[in-house]
Amino acid sequence: MRRSPIRGLLMVSPPIVLIAVFVGFPVVAAVLYTFGHIGGTNSVIAAIGQRQHVSHGGLGTAAAYREVLTDQQVLRDLLVTVLVTVITVAVVLLLAGGVALYLRLSGGRIAKFLSGLAVVPMFIPVVIGGYAIRQFYATDGLFRTLAHHLGWSDAPTLSYTMGAITIGEIWVSVPFGVLLLASGFAAVPDGQIEAARDVGASLTRTVFSVILPMSRAPIVIVTTFTAISVMGSFTIPYMTGPSAPNMLGVTMTNYFVSFNQPQQAQVMAVVVFAAAALIGSAYVWANVRSGRTSGVSS
Amino acid sequence: MTAVDVTAPLEVASRPPQDRPRRRLRVGQSLGRLALAGWVVLIAAFIVGPIVWLALQAFATSWRYPSWTPDGWTLHWWQFVLSGSDLSSAVGLSLTFSPIVTLVSAVICLPAAYAFARYEFPGRRLLLVSLFATNAFPKIGLYVAMAGLFYWLNLMTTFLGVVIVQLLGTVVLMTWIPSAAFAAVPRSLEEAARDAGARPTRVFFRITLPLATPGIAIAMILSFLAAFDEAQGTFLVGAPTYVTMPTKMYELVNNYPQQAAAVFAILLAVPSAVLMLLVRRHVMGGHLAAGFQLR
Repeated sequence: MRRSPIRGLLMVSPPIVLIAVFVGFPVVAAVLYTFGHIGGTNSVIAAIGQRQHVSHGGLGTAAAYREVLTDQQVLRDLLVTVLVTVITVAVVLLLAGGVALYLRLSGGRIAKFLSGLAVVPMFIPVVIGGYAIRQFYATDGLFRTLAHHLGWSDAPTLSYTMGAITIGEIWVSVPFGVLLLASGFAAVPDGQIEAARDVGASLTRTVFSVILPMSRAPIVIVTTFTAISVMGSFTIPYMTGPSAPNMLGVTMTNYFVSFNQPQQAQVMAVVVFAAAALIGSAYVWANVRSGRTSGVSS
Repeated sequence: MTAVDVTAPLEVASRPPQDRPRRRLRVGQSLGRLALAGWVVLIAAFIVGPIVWLALQAFATSWRYPSWTPDGWTLHWWQFVLSGSDLSSAVGLSLTFSPIVTLVSAVICLPAAYAFARYEFPGRRLLLVSLFATNAFPKIGLYVAMAGLFYWLNLMTTFLGVVIVQLLGTVVLMTWIPSAAFAAVPRSLEEAARDAGARPTRVFFRITLPLATPGIAIAMILSFLAAFDEAQGTFLVGAPTYVTMPTKMYELVNNYPQQAAAVFAILLAVPSAVLMLLVRRHVMGGHLAAGFQLR
């Protein structure tokens, strides 16, 4: 690798500047706005927004947070968001992990077919996937039709419930999980697996003591990414969910677009950022810690 | 636990130890096969069922629960959608934004991708990871947070605003994947060309770039798709002036007959599905996953 500090930095600066200006800066400005600072780049949005809490000097005011976080509706939405996120991550890890593991251990035609199937949602725009899921689990959808013909005549209508939201989030998240976990498991050398089998480890034991510990990095990536993308989703809960309670993505869009209360919407955004950061750091911490105690590095 | 569910049938299905009694083996094997078949059918229904159901609706006159078949088949909804002006304007906008975003993204990111792969400079690793900031924030929250700046810069409901919001979703793809491609070009080839007297620019255009082209092409297709399918940010920034195909879906699903919405959905899904099929092998082959192995 050539040492060219100036040329290198110049060449990488366009995307870095783009991200700094349109992601880094707005996040800081949004945090300031939620604490009542309406100057600078926040001045225009503050002139448009309604029901704002303005700070008069000092560090700012937490009044907007107080308003949003004592709102029963918002709290329920927050709970829904957390629940859907946790369930989705768990199911995606099991489902994608199962498919990827099967692919790793069998490698046969069925395994390839199954993993090919599992990445299909990646080929479909999320809007379409969301709509398709809403129709599939609707009162007159194929899910209930199938159930009816199989003798389950009062199968629930999942559309417009948390059930459909969760199903939709799982549906769109599975491909990424399968891709990353499959490539992670593929990186575990055959020799390691065979060695464990040779000394008499059962298949389950091999999976839990060899393959999974050696694939810590992809597992962490899938977990955090799925969690972050679910928390930041709008399309799936908007398409498949009830009007209330729904996930915070829908609520903050409503506050922003329909109620014209951008400050409240940004408070929710900051709350979701904080939750995402918490999940991220919890995972990093857990992994650093277990990596240290078990001596296995990812 | 699923991990166990999957491996249980597998244990008997995949080359069992020879000292196991044959009879037990056969029973176990067929039970395993059955469980596996059930598992495959369930996943297939879960993944493909909704899409098939949506596709069928596009050709149905009406459908009454719990009938297996619709009351009749028709192409009426295709005519309805194709003759309407909603479609053409949304398609036109989508096909304007996506190529522009892809090109701008390539111009901004490809030099950076090369630099990340070939130059050593202070903060290289940190900067490479920091590009990831767009994906580290929950998306809709990020778009809502961006609104203040967009209002201040007068970018709300503007063409440029939509380009920027879609551009942000392509930066990681357009930097990481080509960077891995540039890094994979053997340095010995470049050195050999230089030893033979080729100038650095000539080496780049005759050796490095052609060898990295597949990776760049994949990044461009994925970026095009990311822009083409982007709905949440485009909706917040562009609506109601700039309504692309995916944002149109938000509106259609509540106001259109469901069969017409199904037709629109299929029309929107076709370009994505075709382009994805083109890059399928590379995405599955680990290009995407390779992007996450930061060097």
